[in-house]
Amino acid sequence: MHGIKRRELTQELLRKKRARDAEKITTYRTLTERVLTSKARGYYTPDELEITTRLLELNPEFNAVWNYRRDAILTLKEQLRSDFWVNELKFTTRQLQAYPKVYWIWNHRLWCLNEYPGSPIERWQLELALVNKLLSMDARNFHSWHYRKIVVKRLEQMSRKNLNQQELDYTTEKINANISNFSAWHQRASLLPKMFAMGQIPDEKSFINRELQYIINAMFTDAEDQSVWYYIKWFVRSDCIVSKLNTEEYKNLLQQIKNGILLINEDEKDFSGKENMWCLKLLCVLETIQIAQLKLDIVPKRSEYLDKLIKFDPLRQNRYRYLAQRP
Amino acid sequence: MLKLDKESHIGYISSLDSKRDDYEYWLSEHLRLNGVYWGLTALCVLGAKDTFDRTKIIEFVQSCWDSKAGGFGAFPGHDAHVLTTLSGIQILAIYDALDVLTETPTDEHTKDRKTQCVEFFRSNQLPDGSFQGDRFGEVDTRFVYAALNGLSILGKLTPDVVDPAVEFIQQCYNFDGGFGLCPGAESHAAMALTCLAALAIVNKLGVLSSEQIEDIGWWLCERQVPEGGLNGRPSKHPDVCYSWWVSSSLAIIGKLDWINFDKLRQFILQSQDLKKGGISDRPDNEVDVFHTCFGVTGLSLLGKDDLVEIDPVYCMPASVTQSFKKYPY
Repeated sequence: MHGIKRRELTQELLRKKRARDAEKITTYRTLTERVLTSKARGYYTPDELEITTRLLELNPEFNAVWNYRRDAILTLKEQLRSDFWVNELKFTTRQLQAYPKVYWIWNHRLWCLNEYPGSPIERWQLELALVNKLLSMDARNFHSWHYRKIVVKRLEQMSRKNLNQQELDYTTEKINANISNFSAWHQRASLLPKMFAMGQIPDEKSFINRELQYIINAMFTDAEDQSVWYYIKWFVRSDCIVSKLNTEEYKNLLQQIKNGILLINEDEKDFSGKENMWCLKLLCVLETIQIAQLKLDIVPKRSEYLDKLIKFDPLRQNRYRYLAQRP
Repeated sequence: MLKLDKESHIGYISSLDSKRDDYEYWLSEHLRLNGVYWGLTALCVLGAKDTFDRTKIIEFVQSCWDSKAGGFGAFPGHDAHVLTTLSGIQILAIYDALDVLTETPTDEHTKDRKTQCVEFFRSNQLPDGSFQGDRFGEVDTRFVYAALNGLSILGKLTPDVVDPAVEFIQQCYNFDGGFGLCPGAESHAAMALTCLAALAIVNKLGVLSSEQIEDIGWWLCERQVPEGGLNGRPSKHPDVCYSWWVSSSLAIIGKLDWINFDKLRQFILQSQDLKKGGISDRPDNEVDVFHTCFGVTGLSLLGKDDLVEIDPVYCMPASVTQSFKKYPY
């Protein structure tokens, strides 16, 4: 159970709950017994199908019932009404709205789309619209993001049109709405290497420069959030970015980020008297690249940063001690 | 000073099967076999393995057999799934009762149940090395872990299964140092454990570079939030079950000390229900057997509270897992 407040029931309330439960239990057990009996006998009728709807509304996690429902649908395929598939999708839409984190519903939804007569492209386009709605309800639901990728892949196969740019724009939209949406940053970092590799970024250097300004902006917007820091850590080490720059350009990019971080950290010190831990963590990463990889002749500050991290981020002090011992 | 209230947790777990007046009892039937595994594991860690009636539990496991698919379902009459088949095997292994799987077959199948379980796991592997949970095709690294775990307990891992599975897991590694449920999916702490433990089971942690291991350790230790608990992804609330997913992952890569034990312990202890027993996802929430299990196994991993040693790879008592054959055989 997740997120359910603990309650302490008085004897009276407990008695009332038990009375309510007794009725619910009878209904639930009757439905369960009927479905499991039909299932064991391999007995499939439209009425049985209807019973599974009722049972799954009571318990959307009952996987054996979803399985039986699919077997029933396949068996009854020829006798189903013409609007059956549309209704089946409506049923799972309602289920997903009510229980957006139940794996089994997502799985059933995908099965429906694959079995949908003709599986037309319009159907999959509507599906993308549904995912958009679900992601507007909860922009971090990883089921929705995962499902989105499946839908997009299918649309690409059917239309023979690559949707990377559309998906990149979608991550921009999501990040602009909430800069700490790491799911969107993640998706962005998985799209860009593909887009570079497929030649979908027309002017690579100016793109990288725009992306650099975008993330510098983002880190100024919310320096407390981890999302943008993870993205920066990827950006400065990612082959798809680094390989497009000559050494001077790479040095320059690192220095721009570093300047931004140092500025944020100074502001933080002025404001709260404390340094920003993620600034210090990223400064370590940047300095390691600058010294170990680019052999820049700069004054090393890594051990100073690590000393501060040990002191001010004590939860993770053993990691910093480990890094301090390592050259 | 908070203490782990072992007695009340043992009492809570042993009372679970007597809650038939509660609607929730029936609504969780589809998780019953998993629930028995979580309860039994928690009891073992609490040093109270004998609380359940061994004979009855073994009978119950056997009654969950799905003869059509050749694996275990969550409850009699339910369908076999990779996850529940693993739970059945784990319970039998903890009770040192795996031999019931090789007893003379009593149904129409000529093969014994152990052979059928092995075939069930193997038949759910897909060409890309991943595993589906059952014949309906859902793919997730949880199923890769469950299948390799089950095959390992049965001593039946083979390179034709292991090698493609390892390749699949490597593709689930992300730039941030985490793992997703499939290639390209966002990092999630539960998937870090499924991927790392799967690699550990087949003795293939070496496919990860030392730079990757450091990034994994970094991502995992950042899951600890100021309250002391661990979250599953950036900007999420802490939850007791991540006390297991994150800590066991860190233990597997030898970096458990990268998080703060005392703060994590406090968070788990604050999530106890000291009146009714059991542990919840976070302080003041309703308890359940899942979080009770992962709360106490987390504490055991931290070496706190005088608990029985747990194996971070299998999430079973170390005394049980030490007898498993180590792959490669």
